[in-house]
Amino acid sequence: MPATYKCARCKHKVEIDVNVRCPYCGNRILFKERGAGIKDLKAR
Amino acid sequence: MEIIFGRLDNNNARFTLTETRTAFANAFRRAMISEVPTLAIDQVRIYDNTSVLFDEMLAHRLGLIPLRTDLTTYVPAGECSCGGAGCTHCTATYTLSVEGPRMVFSRDLIPQDPTTAPCHDEIPIIKLSENQKVVLEARATVNTGKEHAKWQPTIACGYKNYPEITFSENCDGCGMCVEECPRGILTVKEGKAQVVAEKQEECLLCRLCEEACMAGGIGSEPSIRIKGDETRKIFVVEGDESLPVQEIIERALMHLRQKSEDLHTIVSQLSGVT
Repeated sequence: MPATYKCARCKHKVEIDVNVRCPYCGNRILFKERGAGIKDLKAR
Repeated sequence: MEIIFGRLDNNNARFTLTETRTAFANAFRRAMISEVPTLAIDQVRIYDNTSVLFDEMLAHRLGLIPLRTDLTTYVPAGECSCGGAGCTHCTATYTLSVEGPRMVFSRDLIPQDPTTAPCHDEIPIIKLSENQKVVLEARATVNTGKEHAKWQPTIACGYKNYPEITFSENCDGCGMCVEECPRGILTVKEGKAQVVAEKQEECLLCRLCEEACMAGGIGSEPSIRIKGDETRKIFVVEGDESLPVQEIIERALMHLRQKSEDLHTIVSQLSGVT
């Protein structure tokens, strides 16, 4: 399943699998979005 | 062996342990640090974290917050009747749900049992900007500092030998030792150096006064002599408020006695003597 990213320039949600590039503006800087899942951690 | 308290309140203690040895004093110090159990957050379930801090970093910060501990209510997970699965006798639960812009403090951590609230309200956890939020659930368990430093009930815990300060007849009252002493425990009276009343215990055993006396050029030996009495130790214990200091001291001594009895039993079994 492709991960969800957010374009640093146009702020569009982008799904990438092979090419790291925003399909809307062509920018190559993408931020990974936090998943909806719950995270269990050890506090250490 | 005797304990003479110079100061004892909820969070600080200063006492002298007499007729002891360095080995016992160090075992006592180590027991207070790492054998007295307290509560600390150990598991964090993060539902949402849009702050600038990684989840792991946030969980680590939560773990270091000192929590009020009632050891008559809570027991270590390994000793609990639930077998460590997590019940109300071994686990305290907290929730935190904050939206920015604001600073998240330890008081925002809402305990299910109010007796296990954080010891201090003003511990900063994270600063949230506009549209950032943190939603999580935390579980605190009872354990000891041997497992992890977050379960240590003491912040500062140490001892020193009881200082013995002697002056020889050669002292001419030049006052060089008085000027050199960083604690200001020396004074010159009637042409001779002496210790200020009730300040002897504050001596750091740094011996700067001895060096200053030698620099004065009187004889081949300093006229002031500093020695630490190895049979008397001055202890300073500062707690993190999770437990009263008196309880820390009592539980550390109980732990030492238990270990000593266990050792005695094992040695008796091995040697066949009861």
